[in-house]
Amino acid sequence: MATVEEVDNITLETPGKRAPLVTGGLKFGSITEIVAGVPEQEKPPLAWYIGFCVSLAALGMLFALIGYLIMTGVGVWGNNVPVYWGWPIVNFVFWVGIGHAGTLISAILCVFRQNWRTSINRFAEAMTIFAVACAGIFPAIHIGRVWVFYWLFPYPSLYLNMWPNFRSPLLWDVFAVSTYATVSVLFWYMGMIPDLATLRDRTKSRLHQIGYSVAALGWTGSARQWHRYEKAYILLAALAAPLVLSVHTIVSFDFAVSQLPGWHTTIFPPYFVAGAVFSGFGMVLTLIVPARQWFGLKDMVTTRHLENICKILLATGSMVGYAYAMEFFMAWYSGVANEQFTFQNRAFGPYYWAYWTMIFCNVCVPQIFWFKKCRTTPWIMFIASIFVNIGMWFERFVITVTSLSRDFLPSSWGYFTPTWVDIGMFVGSFGLFFTLFLLFLRFLPMVAMAEVKSVMPHGEEDHH
Amino acid sequence: MANKKDNATPQTLGLLVEFEDQDQLLKACEAVRDAGLTKTDAHVPFPVHGIDEALGIRPTVLPWLVLAMGLTGGATGLAMQYFMNATVQPGALFSGYPYMISGKPEFSLPANIPVTFELTILLSAFGALFGMLALNKLPNFSNPLFRHKNFARATNDRFFLTIDATDPKFKANKHREMLEKLSPITIDELEADPSSDQIPTFLKYVVIVFLAALTVPPMLVWNARNTTSPLPRIHPIQDMDNQLKKKTQTTSQVFADGRSMRPRVPGSVARGEWQPIDYLTGIVPGGEMTENVALLQDEEAKPADDAQPAEEQPAVDAPADGEPAAAEGAAVEGEDKPPEPDWVTSFPETLDVDTALIERGQARFNIYCAVCHGVSGEGNGLVSLRAFEMEQPTWVQPTNLHDPNVTKQPVGRVFNTITNGIRKMPAYGAQISPEDRWAIVLYLKALQKSRDATIQDVPQIEADALKGQGN
Repeated sequence: MATVEEVDNITLETPGKRAPLVTGGLKFGSITEIVAGVPEQEKPPLAWYIGFCVSLAALGMLFALIGYLIMTGVGVWGNNVPVYWGWPIVNFVFWVGIGHAGTLISAILCVFRQNWRTSINRFAEAMTIFAVACAGIFPAIHIGRVWVFYWLFPYPSLYLNMWPNFRSPLLWDVFAVSTYATVSVLFWYMGMIPDLATLRDRTKSRLHQIGYSVAALGWTGSARQWHRYEKAYILLAALAAPLVLSVHTIVSFDFAVSQLPGWHTTIFPPYFVAGAVFSGFGMVLTLIVPARQWFGLKDMVTTRHLENICKILLATGSMVGYAYAMEFFMAWYSGVANEQFTFQNRAFGPYYWAYWTMIFCNVCVPQIFWFKKCRTTPWIMFIASIFVNIGMWFERFVITVTSLSRDFLPSSWGYFTPTWVDIGMFVGSFGLFFTLFLLFLRFLPMVAMAEVKSVMPHGEEDHH
Repeated sequence: MANKKDNATPQTLGLLVEFEDQDQLLKACEAVRDAGLTKTDAHVPFPVHGIDEALGIRPTVLPWLVLAMGLTGGATGLAMQYFMNATVQPGALFSGYPYMISGKPEFSLPANIPVTFELTILLSAFGALFGMLALNKLPNFSNPLFRHKNFARATNDRFFLTIDATDPKFKANKHREMLEKLSPITIDELEADPSSDQIPTFLKYVVIVFLAALTVPPMLVWNARNTTSPLPRIHPIQDMDNQLKKKTQTTSQVFADGRSMRPRVPGSVARGEWQPIDYLTGIVPGGEMTENVALLQDEEAKPADDAQPAEEQPAVDAPADGEPAAAEGAAVEGEDKPPEPDWVTSFPETLDVDTALIERGQARFNIYCAVCHGVSGEGNGLVSLRAFEMEQPTWVQPTNLHDPNVTKQPVGRVFNTITNGIRKMPAYGAQISPEDRWAIVLYLKALQKSRDATIQDVPQIEADALKGQGN
């Protein structure tokens, strides 16, 4: 174990000598102590209570506003001719995008055997699920008559006497997002079964024991069970990886399949996926930097992990920037006056402020990660990640609103203004997200203990 | 109880060996494998590399299961979309429903790929998780291992090897000795659960009550479906179907006539449709004749009988059907008649009196008036000629519009006659718009003038031209 500490802070990959994924000379037992210690606390820290109260208040506001919306009608939003898709869709795409990093970190990095994922995957998967929950709310309440939401699904109905139109991107969305939510939950839960068994075997509280026992399904860590479990996990990862790509592709089809200038473009699927990864990693960074500080996870979520995330942010941010530039090129190259006008209008029209906010946050800010100092200083990356979150919200705003507000007919041009309900619901969705996230931190293992143990230096060195 | 006896001599299920290190465990696994034992297992906090070989675990069938589920999902997705969007079964309970959108094909693979793909992934994922759980025989909440005091660390930092006592080659003492050489922390015998396998009695009752309770909702539904009730159906979501309003053609107890459909309030005029009184009536406002001004604005709310301007009533009523034929003007002048209204003598200011209006009036006159009054206005229209030819006894010859009694009439009076009719002539107010009525009046005045005009009435330039023609 002594040898580990000598290479403690190496964040560069040197051939033949990998930086350790877990530092501080931790043993298996101490991993369990640290991670399981968080949900085992009798009382969480005061900050948790404060955060939970604030989140719960925002969540209450969200539910109240949804009630108000249902009782009154969608007129309470700022959506109106010609901007029919206002903040609800912007928020939907924003949250779905954030929801992609979790499964991406888990699935794609798992398929590529990137072991550094193990200490952040649980965290990111939880973030995915809560973000997808936030995302799911917006299209659901956007349909107007919420109480007949089940008409979206192909169920035999004597009342309607018809089926959904399977050639509509909005229907693809229903299937994509619900499949994604389901598979993400399965993936998250399956990854958690061994850790739930750990909590079950350690907890002193009878109530917790019953809860964790039921959730752990009687897992004993049998080698035969592990054998099938690992196979199932890698299969699920291999299934989830294309699923991540497909979901945001299909979300982008909502726009790209229409004929509106600014939406009708084939660059959307890859551009949306890159944006989703970008925003998702941004949110992971926003959450993990304070969490590793507060919960003492610095030896498991090391500087190397953070640096890797920063590198991904730099890469995907640059991809997104490339896409922004390419949109202009294609508008010019297409020779279509409407397209050219749309992009000119995006950058210099009435929404120029949104466009340049987006460019600054998504393209300029990540460039600081060229510098190692920024990639390894948590507070710098935390601030940068906030910018990324803001920028990605504006990206969706720019795409949705600027195109709709200036469509083919100048007589129907308009300017979108959100109402207080729009703003309240967006804030409220953060309430939902953080309420769920704080509950997760309180009751569930936030780091995949079993997976971290399997990549610990001890295990590797001894075996080879 | 029988269980008490078992407690004294618990049945041995096998050996539980605890190691501190995964390498010691691997060595032990290899040792028991080489000893020919097959009913063995290891319990470890994380998947240990090489343990499958060390224990002789064979590859799982799970991938095939997932493949089968994936293929099922994909096939289901495609078949579902084909059935629902590209087929019709007339008369079937659930028929497909093809959408015709922009002439696009009802079934096109590219458009159906997303849903097919998602269902493939969804079912594969179910196959992976639930297949794994089924093959691992989970959930299983009753396991003798859980009763062992040290076993809790199997999910933390210790490594356990178990040998099942039912293994045909298992010999407790021999294998215990063999394993003791591999420096384990402990070697324990795993004992069967001493408690009864029976379900506790109270739990049985709970289950029975629960199952009985489960049958209540279906029974209520069955009962509801097979009985009649005078109460309306439960309608949980209103969807604006039921509202506090009366629909068309229904009754109402609020109104004396019992009808829920109400006529417009008499005299109500739509916003922006107000017209000057003289324009609508041909009467200068102010006198008592134009008292109900709003009523005049409201064509719809004016039933033919009672809403006509009061001043015309006598004129309309006076000539009964059988009354001898008389010229209109004479009939009006001869009687002891009520005071004449204050007729408008010039065309309303809102009207552009120009050639276009005369031409419009000529067209309207030839459509509405000429059939009786004749194209030239002499009361010799085709209908009149035909009536005389057929010797219709009740027919009254239409007025000759060139009669001095008519030519002397102010424009307002002519307008009023067209609007409300006179004697045998019906009212045309409902058929001809006010502007067209004024146009007809204008044309009529021109027509009348054409009969007794002198050359002085013609503008100089045209008079010269006429003179030239005459010569």
